[in-house]
Amino acid sequence: MATSVNPADITPREVANKSDKKALLQALRMTLGVQSAAVRRNTQTFNNNRYAAIARLPDYNELKDRARQIKENAIANLPELLRQLEASVRANGGNFYLAKTAADANQYIRDVLVHHEAKLVVKGKSITSEETKLNHALEAAGIKVAESDLAEFILQVADEQPSHIVAPALHYSRERITALFKRKFNTNLPLDTGEELTKFAREILREQFIAADAGISGANLIAADSGSIMLVESEGNIRMTTTLPPVHIAIAGIEKVVPSRKDFGTFIELLPRSGTGQPLTSYVSILHPPLKAPTFAAPGKEAAKTREFHMVLIDNGRSRMREDPVLFEALYCIRCSACLNSCANFETVGGHAFGGETYSGGIGGSWEAGTGTLSNARFSELCTACSRCVPNCPVRIDIPWLNENLRQRMNHAQGASPAKFLFGEMTGSAPEDSVAPLQKQFFGNYDAFGKWGTRFASLANASIHMPGARSLMQSAFGVDRRRSLPSFPKKTWEQLYREERNGKQSTLQPGLMMLADVFTNYGAPERGMAAIRVLRAIGLDVVLSPAMSDGRAAMSQGMIDTARREARAIAPMLRRYLDEGRKIVVTEPSVLAMLRFDFKHLLDDDETQKRLAQNSFEPLEYLWQVAQEQRLNLAQTFPTNRCPQGTRLFYHSHCQQRTCNSAAQTIEVLRAAGFDVVTSSVECCGMAGSFGYKHEYYELSIAVGEDLFAQVRRADQEGGPRTLVASGTSCHEQLLAGMGREVFHPAELLASTLA
Amino acid sequence: MLQVTAPVSLIQQFTDSAIKAVATVEVIDRTPTALRDAILRAVGDAKRILYAPPQELPVALFSDFATDPRVIADATAEELVHSAAGVTEAFAAVASTGSVCIDVSYERTGMVSLLAPLQIAVVAAETIVPQPRDLFRVDVLDGKGLARDFVFVTGPSATADMGPLVRGVHGPHKLHIIVLR
Repeated sequence: MATSVNPADITPREVANKSDKKALLQALRMTLGVQSAAVRRNTQTFNNNRYAAIARLPDYNELKDRARQIKENAIANLPELLRQLEASVRANGGNFYLAKTAADANQYIRDVLVHHEAKLVVKGKSITSEETKLNHALEAAGIKVAESDLAEFILQVADEQPSHIVAPALHYSRERITALFKRKFNTNLPLDTGEELTKFAREILREQFIAADAGISGANLIAADSGSIMLVESEGNIRMTTTLPPVHIAIAGIEKVVPSRKDFGTFIELLPRSGTGQPLTSYVSILHPPLKAPTFAAPGKEAAKTREFHMVLIDNGRSRMREDPVLFEALYCIRCSACLNSCANFETVGGHAFGGETYSGGIGGSWEAGTGTLSNARFSELCTACSRCVPNCPVRIDIPWLNENLRQRMNHAQGASPAKFLFGEMTGSAPEDSVAPLQKQFFGNYDAFGKWGTRFASLANASIHMPGARSLMQSAFGVDRRRSLPSFPKKTWEQLYREERNGKQSTLQPGLMMLADVFTNYGAPERGMAAIRVLRAIGLDVVLSPAMSDGRAAMSQGMIDTARREARAIAPMLRRYLDEGRKIVVTEPSVLAMLRFDFKHLLDDDETQKRLAQNSFEPLEYLWQVAQEQRLNLAQTFPTNRCPQGTRLFYHSHCQQRTCNSAAQTIEVLRAAGFDVVTSSVECCGMAGSFGYKHEYYELSIAVGEDLFAQVRRADQEGGPRTLVASGTSCHEQLLAGMGREVFHPAELLASTLA
Repeated sequence: MLQVTAPVSLIQQFTDSAIKAVATVEVIDRTPTALRDAILRAVGDAKRILYAPPQELPVALFSDFATDPRVIADATAEELVHSAAGVTEAFAAVASTGSVCIDVSYERTGMVSLLAPLQIAVVAAETIVPQPRDLFRVDVLDGKGLARDFVFVTGPSATADMGPLVRGVHGPHKLHIIVLR
């Protein structure tokens, strides 16, 4: 990122819209330079709290299933629900307005306020009103808007967009808030603690709550059957906003509507836990306004006779999203922020880089594209499809799939060029995908380079180190020159396997097929061979499949047509092994995740997809299952005293491996064999396949890795350096780059104990 | 007075959860004297105590308390925003979270439970339900949770927006819960 601008001189607003990739790169510089420490601390606190909170919820999975079902039905029946809701709101004595556009919503609200001669409105946190830019519209009409959520208050003072959908100012450290307030309010008050800052803001806002002519809130959920709204908060500002002023306006997107108030019972258990990790936040209001309580008037003012309520729902692109074959799923989002907090990239830069003008994080791209234009979703490139958000989403949205589709659409929106087309032809892109940038086709067609590189390994390895080669790779394909590239092995896994077998027939029952995935086959065949030896050591028969691409590399670049073609080519081959009665074992976790999850988007044969998902395993996951069933003594099979790397290990499991629930078994196996294992607790190493190789994301990738490196260093402090162990190919590269020492696959360590 | 008892374990779970949520809890006998004493202990030397008469519990239960000269049952706006404590009933409570449920449409219950720095909620033990979701069932507490405008109050108001966690923001800084056996 060649630019001399000081990160502190880049304002969040000027890089909010990232249609132009330059803005994204500037935003990365700014957030890494200024905001990263606060974002990390706050998102990781939410993340840890969420894990703790859901661990105490025994029916978490059943609740998620129910939540998903409620949202599926609600979005499917949305037009009918909106009609029912309108009738409910009116029957309660409220007003209802369905706004087609953001401007319509703003105008309606402005008209209501002008009718009441309102001078001051207090607002609770509403990201939807950020989407419509309501404050600007009201201020233009001479109405003062007081943001009453303290985070929104900070943003209003600083003139910044939210960086997080639940805690919009979490990019601010206490120190930066102190400096901001001292500058903007020109005060000499101490303001050096959270208490002092809170008291300062509270006193300003208290007067405004009392004096306000109207209150504007959002709504976390809306029930069609009763016109009820659910409002989740902790500060008490939403209670003030909905209780004190005589006029209450609630603004929300149409996707917030669920059929019944009874449905709130499911979401109230999930939403706060998934968001901040609290069983409940301080205040969860369940209202079907207008309230019947007597009105309140500021001391000295005359009380309004009655309370008035307006529900303003906005469409602003949502109906179009509902018709979209992919983006419709984003409408299930309940804005809990679990996908932001469980995302390693988001944890490192926050929503001012990994976000647009309103929405942020993994789910944010779909929302920016849905309520704006496709190019507004440019920042969704920061989604590496590591998939950690998927098991943490309370409504089970496949967020990586949404982002891969956005990537495809952005690829397709680019013009074709003869160079891109020719390159695509040579490397195996589907015709539709040959409009993708060279960098994407380079990484997306990894198998083509693997095939070529291993066939001419000495030449390929030497040419990478030739003068000028790395500059060329950086300028042509955007492969960062600071990354060391793995050498191509002289023999592929297929070749090693053939030589080792040497015509011998197994005497064992057909048991397992190992998939010669392209990453292991062309990048790390020794790991694959080790896995075979380890599985054979407990008496399992293993054969190796032919090397074939599974579509992962292409999919991660948004080359979905290429991925689909590859998936449909490999599936019949895999199926034949299942028909023989074998199980499939996959060394590379990102490929295992294809078989387990992603093929459902790519295959047109549900039955094959289900069989593949149910019968594919990570090697040590399968080993552990057999060891449990047969009560094997793994310490006897794998005498760890023979391991040349010693018995003290640091193990980092792969992000997609954890999403597949295939990580804990590796730790069990290593410990049962007698290794002393310390594990990492980061969501992702930061390399994430090709992501960390890309020139423009190198700094981010290394910054993400810092958390992992710090955990290794901490573990090393007692008793000296531990042997580094990782299951994923890219995790190996990242750990090697960060720690400068060799990294092993768990199977390699186990194999090293065998005679 | 008819004594209805909730399972002791539910009261205990509620108490533990509420304390975890940084509320304070006292379980007392259901008599006017015991209630008066408990509230006055909690308010300390507060000069003004806002009071919203109950909708569910018998008003007579609050009769001893209501005679205290510091108690204001029909507060002016000025008094609402400048009192040290606010006393209301809660029509339900939640054991798993330590929450109390306050009806905000009934008279001034909402404002009294919101505007003073010390919030005191009085709840009958038999209205403690196991989980938040139970308030959305027709067969629990006669479906009151499906019919009313109410707030689940879990601990005092709080924020993490200013850096460290701060308790006491726009809403009450303290929550004291009195459970009637």
